[in-house]
Amino acid sequence: MELANKKISGTKIKRNLLPYYYLVPAFLIMGVITFYPLIYQVIISFTNFETKHLLLGLNSPELKFVGLKNYIDIFTGALPVENFNFFRVLEFNFWWALSNVFLHVPAGVLIAVMLNTEGLWLKKLYRALYILPVVVPPIVVATVWRNIFDEQYGAMNQLLTSISILFGHLDPVHLRWLTEYKPPIPGFLPGAPLTLAYYAMMIANFWLGWPLMSVIATGALQSIPKDLYEAAAIDGATGFQQFRNITIPLLTPAMMPAAVYGFTITFNLFGLVFFMTGGGPARSTELLVTFAYNLVRNLRWFGVAAAFAVIIFFVALVVLLITNRITRATQSYSEA
Amino acid sequence: MASVTFQNVEKKFGDLTIIKSLNINVEDKEFLVLVGPSGCGKTTALRLLAGLEEITSGEIKIGERTVNDVAPKDRDIAMVFQSYALYPHLSVYDNMAFGLKLRKTPKEDIKRRVNEAADILGIQELLQRKPRQLSGGQRQRVAVGRAIVREPKVFLFDEPLSNLDAKLRVQMRAEISKLHQRLKTTFIYVTHDQTEAMTMATRIAVINKGNLQQLDTPQNLYDHPNNLFVAGFIGSPAMNFFPSKIVKNGDKIYVDSGDFKVQIPNDLAGPYKGMDGKNVIFGIRPENIHDPEFAPSNIYGEKVTAKVDVTELMGNETLLYLVSGKNVFVGRVDPRSHLRVGHETDVIFDMGKFHIFDATTEEAVR
Ligand SMILES: Nc1ncnc2c1ncn2[C@@H]1O[C@H](COP(=O)(O)OP(=O)(O)OP(=O)(O)O)[C@@H](O)[C@H]1O
Ligand SMILES: [Mg+2]
Repeated sequence: MELANKKISGTKIKRNLLPYYYLVPAFLIMGVITFYPLIYQVIISFTNFETKHLLLGLNSPELKFVGLKNYIDIFTGALPVENFNFFRVLEFNFWWALSNVFLHVPAGVLIAVMLNTEGLWLKKLYRALYILPVVVPPIVVATVWRNIFDEQYGAMNQLLTSISILFGHLDPVHLRWLTEYKPPIPGFLPGAPLTLAYYAMMIANFWLGWPLMSVIATGALQSIPKDLYEAAAIDGATGFQQFRNITIPLLTPAMMPAAVYGFTITFNLFGLVFFMTGGGPARSTELLVTFAYNLVRNLRWFGVAAAFAVIIFFVALVVLLITNRITRATQSYSEA
Repeated sequence: MASVTFQNVEKKFGDLTIIKSLNINVEDKEFLVLVGPSGCGKTTALRLLAGLEEITSGEIKIGERTVNDVAPKDRDIAMVFQSYALYPHLSVYDNMAFGLKLRKTPKEDIKRRVNEAADILGIQELLQRKPRQLSGGQRQRVAVGRAIVREPKVFLFDEPLSNLDAKLRVQMRAEISKLHQRLKTTFIYVTHDQTEAMTMATRIAVINKGNLQQLDTPQNLYDHPNNLFVAGFIGSPAMNFFPSKIVKNGDKIYVDSGDFKVQIPNDLAGPYKGMDGKNVIFGIRPENIHDPEFAPSNIYGEKVTAKVDVTELMGNETLLYLVSGKNVFVGRVDPRSHLRVGHETDVIFDMGKFHIFDATTEEAVR
């Protein structure tokens, strides 16, 4: 009896271990390319690691452990970097992600609904066209938009000029899109000035951002049963009431995760920001990720940059936890 | 409270004519069932009436009003969809209240009407649930409830019971009939289940391929089908048909199927006297075929020799699948019958209850 019991529990343990054997290769690879650098980074975030330490790494004789100094310097703005305030960057970063998503999702949904109209010509062509921005490399996108917002020759100022001529103002418009530091609407976001460059980036990123939302909304729209609209029409709903009472609530389960995804992507949107404004002017459009990159590329402060990356990690963790909450809270209404 | 009229209604989808010149008069407070095989255009007819599809030509009236160009919401109708079409994100209460809210009905009124409907349908305790938390039968009730609270002039039902199991279907059938008696409103009900049609309707419209075949009370449809299609569609098991010839012999008229010959009783033979030699289709319902041992004595019994191919014992009756030459037919006989598979026997046709159809036009001759 006892023997039998032992045998059973023995195979049980073996069976329970089996999944872990399967995971070993993945863990080995992740250990080398993910965990090792991760831990290494946490360690050097407590040091004054600089370019000269690159050769010997942690074995460098002059490498000094400075405790929490890097972290404190970042939070208190004691870094000898111009125009740097961690909390302003953090606030701007959140605002940047949030304001983008708040534009992209409704715009994507609206355009999807319009393109979903029955009997619309060339529907498939539009759907293929509007997905194009998503597949253009960020550096190309950023360069094109930087040229559009060029203050001398940019298309944007030329467009505004020709519009203002229509209204009788003959002077050429000379908005310094990417270099003007004075915010056009002072105090719009308390604590973090929103310069013209922010609006320019919003415009560029709008072009990048809505198509994906539209694709997702189009898919979700097609899964809303037609008879719900018919039932609503008989119940007395006008087209707009159907949109409000049927389309919106039934799109929400699909759009919520999309919005969350859009938020995280935009929150860390390195490519467009770095290549379009480089975080300027005066760091007003700096994101956490672009700033961290600057610390390494321009200043070569590996220790500070590592500390910054650790901070970003925790910020991202908080974002992830919150967004996870949101996605889980919006379950789908599907049957069964 | 309104009559409904289809006048020469035609519906085309592109080049495809789905409904050709439909004429139906539904009287006020009537329970009209539209019945017909799958794809015959029942749902389309209902959707035309609801305003969900535009008619190609003709006229639809609700009461005295022509509604051809009236929006669905202004037709004063309510519809129960086959899929129920409940709003998945709204509670049962809000599903039922939706239409009233849109019409800016006062809150207390909405509450009263929803509660009344919930009482009638026995769904009081479900009001706070979401549709996905309901069984099929409960969803069906909610869909009916959503129609009731609107207090429309006409109720439209599109196969509301087809997603339910057999037992629930029987129960809901009775409940919808009761509802009709209670609400005293016009009901138009689509089904392809002829049992549903027979049990619920005050009148039935049989439709085939977009044409009205016959519009009559259930009993009249059953006893006096106008044509071969109606005869075959109404009744289960279906009526037996035998391609035959009318044969006159002296002053007696016979139906000759080639394999058997039965006499038409003299007092019923009038319409067939001049048809000697004509091709017809002879029809007789299974319950009018008897086991000789148990055949009632007061009928015009005619013997037909046949072989029992299959028997189905149902308890309260026995179905015999019989073969006579090239003809296969069904008899519904007394359950005490001793006839078994393989028996060669005479069965009795009750010639007081036969049907004759013209072989080419398929119209009833009577
Ligand atoms: N929107 C449409 N476009 C083209 N053809 C259609 C459309 N709606 C229905 N039809 C066709 O019209 C015919 C009748 O359809 P309908 O839905 O009215 O049938 P039904 O009698 O309700 O059948 P069922 O019992 O299967 O529900 C079918 O052949 C169908 O294919
Ligand atoms: Mg149908």
